[in-house]
Amino acid sequence: MKKKSLLAGILAICLIVPSPAFAAKPDFSKIKIALVPGGAHPYFQPWIAGGKAAAAEFGIAATIFNETGEWDQTKQNAAIDALAAQGYNAFGLFGVSPSDINTTFAKLKSKGFPVGSLASCPGGYDIVKEPQKNSADFCLSTDTGKAAYLAAKAVITQMGGKGNLVHLTGNAVDANTIRRMDGVKKAIAETGGKVKLLTTITDIDTDLQTATKAVSDLFAAKGKQIKGIVTTAYNPAVAATQGVATTKLPIKVIAIDDDPKILAAISSGTISGTVVQNPWGQGYVGSWVMAALGSKACTMITPGLYVDSGSFLVTKSNVKTYNATRMATSKAILADFQTKYMTCK
Amino acid sequence: MSTVLIMRRIVSDQRVVLTTLTVGLFIYFGLKNSAFFSTDFVIYPLLRDGAVLTVIGLAQLCALSVGHLNLAVGRMAAVAALASGAAYQYWHLSLIPGLLIGLCVGGALGFVAGLIIVKSQVNAFIVTLAMDFALLGFVTFVYVTFTGATAAFITKPKGMEFWRNTSLHQYCIGGVCGPKVFPMMLVPAIVALILVGFLYAKTRLGRELLSTGSNLRAAKLSGIPVDYRVIMAHTFSGLLAALAGVMLAFTNGSFTASIGSQFMLPSFLGPVLGGTLLVGGSVQVLGTFIGTMLTLVIRQGLSVQGIGLETLNIALGLVLLTALSLGQIQKMFTTIRMRGQT
Repeated sequence: MKKKSLLAGILAICLIVPSPAFAAKPDFSKIKIALVPGGAHPYFQPWIAGGKAAAAEFGIAATIFNETGEWDQTKQNAAIDALAAQGYNAFGLFGVSPSDINTTFAKLKSKGFPVGSLASCPGGYDIVKEPQKNSADFCLSTDTGKAAYLAAKAVITQMGGKGNLVHLTGNAVDANTIRRMDGVKKAIAETGGKVKLLTTITDIDTDLQTATKAVSDLFAAKGKQIKGIVTTAYNPAVAATQGVATTKLPIKVIAIDDDPKILAAISSGTISGTVVQNPWGQGYVGSWVMAALGSKACTMITPGLYVDSGSFLVTKSNVKTYNATRMATSKAILADFQTKYMTCK
Repeated sequence: MSTVLIMRRIVSDQRVVLTTLTVGLFIYFGLKNSAFFSTDFVIYPLLRDGAVLTVIGLAQLCALSVGHLNLAVGRMAAVAALASGAAYQYWHLSLIPGLLIGLCVGGALGFVAGLIIVKSQVNAFIVTLAMDFALLGFVTFVYVTFTGATAAFITKPKGMEFWRNTSLHQYCIGGVCGPKVFPMMLVPAIVALILVGFLYAKTRLGRELLSTGSNLRAAKLSGIPVDYRVIMAHTFSGLLAALAGVMLAFTNGSFTASIGSQFMLPSFLGPVLGGTLLVGGSVQVLGTFIGTMLTLVIRQGLSVQGIGLETLNIALGLVLLTALSLGQIQKMFTTIRMRGQT
């Protein structure tokens, strides 16, 4: 195992692509970056470390993390306004409402601020085909549909390719959730009817208590019929992990994100695996890109471009090494911005 | 009337105290951090948000006037916005007809709530709470079923941008232009304030609504058709909730299921801080605007100081508690002064 970890570490370091040589090192000393999620949620905490790492490495004047949006677009807009009034001049945002956030992006852009849509892209159109409809400079986010598809495929494999599957997820009227549900349905459709979607439980990512109750109710009602669970939201993932550990039901679980409880359950074999996203990379790469745009050192070749921040399947075999892979991927994404997606002086 | 007496009356008016507190806090936050005086990032958005929350406060005020609570204001706003959004998206209606459809739906929901309360004799709290749950399910169902992956109606009628982004500064008379900080969104809020104020201060209907809220039995014995008045109060409440819902959709840029989900608390804060009684019989229309602005000034003021989420909510709670206690403190001082005189 130690040898494997060492190899993975070396591989990760090799994957780190050195930054291209700029004619002169861009001056980011006047750039103050605000990273603003829609509200408080454990998923966004790595943004803080990612932003700080970028500030230390690239000489960005300051980064701030503000989670006072309380999952209300109006309050998030007010928080953004307050930060702009304080002198922050670049914004990395996770919009509460994917269909409304373009309005906020457009407003910030009209004031001359670079804006990155982090962890979620504006809704209402196909971001890959129509990046020009994204009012932010770029979108760096997990491809939620792809991540859900990856997770569903993994759990179907664990189930032996047949049986009843349950999907636990977040807000039913959120564009990202709908993409996740489509990803899971796509993986199920590929089994040709051997796997059935028993139920999709939505709106249980508000807090762990809500998710735990939903999982308990599910196990009480249909525990014996379920062969696999795929979770595509943080709190349901933790709740499903705890539920399977407590009830010892023979249910295969693929969770999402890397809460310590989930990682411990993977190590002990209680659950099969998890699909981790890359919030650290969103904070790190996003901060550099916004600083480069704000300082006029670089411009986007395709304004509004969507870039996948990556999602990784973590199982018992790579639970100790995935973070190095993830950091290496972040550096590779940064290099792609510097060489492929942007034109720099 | 002596000057001293007039001064005493002014000082004992809760609206004057609240206005002083709001303006005082505004100046205090601005002196602490001059960024708070920013026109673009603080004052204009503050007034625009205040406009929407004032209208939802007025919606709650209408129910409070007859001694009822409307716990479904947020969801009524959501359904009305849904109706307007669908009208713009599917029927390609222009701004005003779409808005009118939303208002009609809101008014109809309020009417139904009032009718159920009157006919079933079940407490308004229970009826509107049940209605809130039912409408929540309805809104989610409609958006999931009819809007696909967008989960929103995103068609923007012509004029929506105008209401969201422009200020009175665009209008000039004789070379003198309106203030840049005055958002156009404040115009419907002011119209609502004038109409509701006129209703309760100048009309017989308004007085009958207040009498119904003050003492139902006495109102009935006086010949007031209290059942009709209750239904009317809830209809007005639904109508104003609808206006607030559509205004919020205009502000944010699309018609989503989350519209109104954060309306409940502000709908009570504005009127109650402004002096409207929870038990009915007395309303303060202008106070609703002032109370709403006070909460927004506190929140944005603390936010500009860079205060974190937990501290922000604690500080907000403490300041609001103090503001709500002002009435009692005033009463206490008056009692002490009167004892001293006798």
